[in-house]
Amino acid sequence: MARKSREAAGSAEDDVNLTPMLDVVFILLIFFIVTAQFIREPGVEIDRLEVNNKERQSPLGILVAIDSNSEIYMNKQVVSLSEVGFRIRELREDNPKGRLVVQADAEAQAGVLIDLMEIVNEIDGLGRVPLSVVNE
Amino acid sequence: MRGRTTRPTEEAHVDLTPMLDVVFILLIFFIVTSTFIQEEALGAEPPPPPSDSPPPPNPAIIVYIDESDQIRVNRRLTDISAVRGGMERARAENPESALIIQAHPQARTGTIIEVRDIAYDAQMERVNIIRSAG
Repeated sequence: MARKSREAAGSAEDDVNLTPMLDVVFILLIFFIVTAQFIREPGVEIDRLEVNNKERQSPLGILVAIDSNSEIYMNKQVVSLSEVGFRIRELREDNPKGRLVVQADAEAQAGVLIDLMEIVNEIDGLGRVPLSVVNE
Repeated sequence: MRGRTTRPTEEAHVDLTPMLDVVFILLIFFIVTSTFIQEEALGAEPPPPPSDSPPPPNPAIIVYIDESDQIRVNRRLTDISAVRGGMERARAENPESALIIQAHPQARTGTIIEVRDIAYDAQMERVNIIRSAG
């Protein structure tokens, strides 16, 4: 008996029109799908410098980090200098348009950075390699 | 026609709840995984590829950073705050000269970035960062 009376009262409420909400949810969903960029982060904390001449890098694509022990990290793994080129090409396939940014720790050795810049120049053809600095 | 008129009331009650569940899960997944990483960067020139062509005829301004991070502008030991002055003086002598930032492999990366930033401030053209032997 109780169920029957609830059903009778509820039939009007059951017809709540979900279509507008569904529209909004779909628009949100499509927005997040489109803007989603799967950047493989190097996964190391680096010490950045503050400089005057910086430029925002967007869209961001590939990150290569050099930590304070002068080891190169990509996608949360240590990568040797001879392997870096191959890894960059691999990530380029996922993200053909994103900019490559080198996150170099201020304490890292210059030799490693210069070697890395040479490789990046060879593979990505960048005349200027973006080095990550402090974000305001 | 007659068949159509009897049916619509049933079809109007398509249950959207499961679809809504799926859509919400997808939405939450994309909200959670979306990372808005921002990077600001300073452009630094890699060393030029080795070539057989002769070096440029103009004398270059050489900023040398040794293994203990001491900076020499055209062989004169210079403090980081005086590098810009040194560069500009050298450029005034030879306005066409390129700038070469030469770093010892054991030097700090931070020092190179600072010197490159100073070179941007001084509006130096044709800058290159190279490594010194040894």
